[in-house]
Amino acid sequence: MQTVFYFDQTRCIGCSTCAVACKDWHDIPAGPVHWIRVSKIERGKFPRVFRTFLVSPCYHCANPVCALVCPADAITKRKEDGIVVVDREACLGSSCGLCLEECPYRSPQFGPENDATLQKCDFCLERWLEGKKPVCVMACPVEALDAGDLEELKQKYADLKEEATGFISPVKTKPSIVFRSKPWGG
Amino acid sequence: MSREEQPEEVIPTVCASHCGGNCLLRLHVKDGVILRIESDDDGKPPFRACLRGRAYRQRVYHPDRLKFPLKRVGAKGEGKFERMSWDEAYDAAAKEIKRIYESYGPESVMMLVSAGDITALHGSMGFYALLNLLGGYSHCWGTFSFEGGLFAEYTTYGTTYTRNTRDDLLHSRLVLMWGWNPAETILDTPTTWVLGRAKEAGVKLICIDPRFTNTAAVLADEWVPIRPGTDAAMLIAMAYVMINENLQDQAFLDKYTVGFERYKEYVLGAEDGVAKTPAWAESISGVPASTIARLARAYATEKPAALIAGISPGRTAYGEQYHRAAIALAAMTGNVGIHGGDAAGRSYAALGSFPFLQVWMSMIDRQVPNPLLMNLPHRKYAPEAYYRDPLWGYGTAPGHVNRFEAADAILKGKAGGYPADYKMLLMVNTNLVNQYGNTNKWVEALRSLDFVLILEQLMTPTAKFADIILPTNTFMERNDMTFGEGIPMYGFQNKAIEPIGESKSHLEIVSELAKRLGINDFNKTEDEILRAGAANTPIPNFEEFKKKGIHLLNLPEPYVAFKDEIQDPEKKPFPTPSGKIEIFSQEIADWNHPKIPPIPKYLETWESRNDPLAKKYPLQLTTSHFWRRAHSTFDNVPWLRELGPQHVLISTVDAETRGINDGDQVMAFNDRGKTMVIAEVTEGIMPGVVDIPEGAWYDPDENGVDRGGCCNVLTKDARSPGGAFCTSTTLVEIKKV
Repeated sequence: MQTVFYFDQTRCIGCSTCAVACKDWHDIPAGPVHWIRVSKIERGKFPRVFRTFLVSPCYHCANPVCALVCPADAITKRKEDGIVVVDREACLGSSCGLCLEECPYRSPQFGPENDATLQKCDFCLERWLEGKKPVCVMACPVEALDAGDLEELKQKYADLKEEATGFISPVKTKPSIVFRSKPWGG
Repeated sequence: MSREEQPEEVIPTVCASHCGGNCLLRLHVKDGVILRIESDDDGKPPFRACLRGRAYRQRVYHPDRLKFPLKRVGAKGEGKFERMSWDEAYDAAAKEIKRIYESYGPESVMMLVSAGDITALHGSMGFYALLNLLGGYSHCWGTFSFEGGLFAEYTTYGTTYTRNTRDDLLHSRLVLMWGWNPAETILDTPTTWVLGRAKEAGVKLICIDPRFTNTAAVLADEWVPIRPGTDAAMLIAMAYVMINENLQDQAFLDKYTVGFERYKEYVLGAEDGVAKTPAWAESISGVPASTIARLARAYATEKPAALIAGISPGRTAYGEQYHRAAIALAAMTGNVGIHGGDAAGRSYAALGSFPFLQVWMSMIDRQVPNPLLMNLPHRKYAPEAYYRDPLWGYGTAPGHVNRFEAADAILKGKAGGYPADYKMLLMVNTNLVNQYGNTNKWVEALRSLDFVLILEQLMTPTAKFADIILPTNTFMERNDMTFGEGIPMYGFQNKAIEPIGESKSHLEIVSELAKRLGINDFNKTEDEILRAGAANTPIPNFEEFKKKGIHLLNLPEPYVAFKDEIQDPEKKPFPTPSGKIEIFSQEIADWNHPKIPPIPKYLETWESRNDPLAKKYPLQLTTSHFWRRAHSTFDNVPWLRELGPQHVLISTVDAETRGINDGDQVMAFNDRGKTMVIAEVTEGIMPGVVDIPEGAWYDPDENGVDRGGCCNVLTKDARSPGGAFCTSTTLVEIKKV
């Protein structure tokens, strides 16, 4: 089974409530560590301006290249749900950083401390195991985010896309996210 | 018991942090500490908190929370204080208050308040009651947010309950979002959610705004950029198109309005020789004539259509004319009182379901109206309807000094033509140095007073000027009630943790301070007052309400303002002198004030781009509401600060001519002050316009240059003749430093 994120790019208002809720839930201080980020994409010339947003958690790739390159086997993809988890005890620390180099989304996060160990979005595993969706999903004031089994999401939302504006979708990692995308001019 | 054995409790509360929203928060509390926060998982619509509510834990536990009463030991504004006990603080404050009342009389006492939390019990209300019992005080009138809108609603509709519930927008075919940015500013929690659903259902949404806001970017089908202070011109030109093409709903106008013919004369140019054509408005507003004509046709023909007149364009000189012109257009299109339409009031109160008054009235044994209220010179040109309004009429309309002129009044007193000389200022939840116009004048005014007392949660730029600071707690440390402005709901704020340090609730402070002043009327407990307040609402079960946090009234259909007036005008006339919508107001005409015309008119503002001052300061400043603050609240919360710096939005062309790049440190300045901000260069703002969002904390350096990006060092402490606050009527220049 593969759990995936769903992001409706036409709904997202760029408020970053997901990112703040994530920091609160996982008790992450203000600073360089962001398990989920919201970025703004702006194009065009006045007065024809286009703006949209993209969320970047960890996409829990079907083919997690971070795990493949980790020399300490600190990153594992769970068989039962596809969630990519980290063993921080095993991680060699930010001086290694191979996972971060390899990840096209810069999802692996290291704190500001010396030799900080890897942390990242864990799909709110603790909540997931209790049958709850990730806190970012439940925080979104406009319901632009969802998460679940890919097949279920396909039932729930029509016309799912693997691409969205501003999203790099490298074939080799197969990120576990599907979109309703907002094309430029759309 | 060990930590593991203590169960984690989930306590519901409602965040109502002066954004106009009411959001469910479920606080996870263990061992008396809030560990994390959830919001509304399954509500339809969801009362989900925004980033501000989700970050509240860092506000409650902020290291700068005021934990003890403080007395000033350094110079005013220097920020040097010494800890006091509550006993010492109450006695010292009571002694000063007594001295000032005895030596200078109640008129020398001024009180200025804001909200911070929009709640029923804990706030300024008890302090108004206390000062009234002490003999009164000099009352300031005028609300920053929407005084221009209030003026227009009172004079045109005779009431401020002009809005439909938000869910009614799903019935619209077209929504004109005029200077309205709920995606960033909230103004009723599920508003953005509702607009999103409306868009998905095929409703056409158009945003008229100097900025390409996230509302414009995400929710609107079209963005129409406009120059600040010119909205009335565009609205009047839309009226011209409708009249010229005979698109107005004449049957509606005949039946429900007075004065359309007078307005028509002005619009067509018969009155002053100037036809208010789209070309005329284009030269003023910068909006292409063809766009104005197209929008006029769409609004007149695509019924039902909702013109949502945001309150921001009203915060300009003659802002009341913008609101009056919007209402006139809603009437001309017959969109008042019908589903999917909108009365184009100030987009605020709908149901009037306020528990405010009930709670306030049940707070103390004895309520005395301010004995000074009518005995001192007070507000001129106040529409009579102000005095009838149950909430705003309570002492607000006939105030003695306009709030925006209060600094000037403090500095000049009777010699400057004000009704009194001012010696003492009591402030409750207000950061006025930061938030009122003309910060540098306020700095002077606060330094000139004998005694400044403030109730605050944090050491704000304003608190630094106090002689005594009484620390208040947050809504997570006490019980209170909230209500929806345009959503039929009530919220209960449950106390989740003990107060931080020695901070106290407003009720505790006013009750004890009153005793020291010989006033023994504050004898009720928080619980008694809230139960009594709730008993006067449709909340069926108080205990269940507390447990749920939110009580949503189940209306059979969306509420529509003026539905009764439209369906049966004989039985239910509009509460105006004529019983109709007053496009022409005889009451205003009788004042004979050249800048308060009896029909909506475009009046060119001071500090417009045509002002000679524009040679020196060529950029028009707007001071929008910022997505990561609610006014000045939350500015110091790290999780929110890291999302982006305080900025000035500047268009690419204006940045290029000044050699400014995105991310540069720049100085914004005019004759009133200087402030340092980070430039955000964008295509998403009208050239010639810059925006510095209000609420960043004033932080002056040794040369008096503000390092905090506080927009109000640039704004003027002026008001419009009809009362509108004018912060977005400000000329500035920007340079790279």
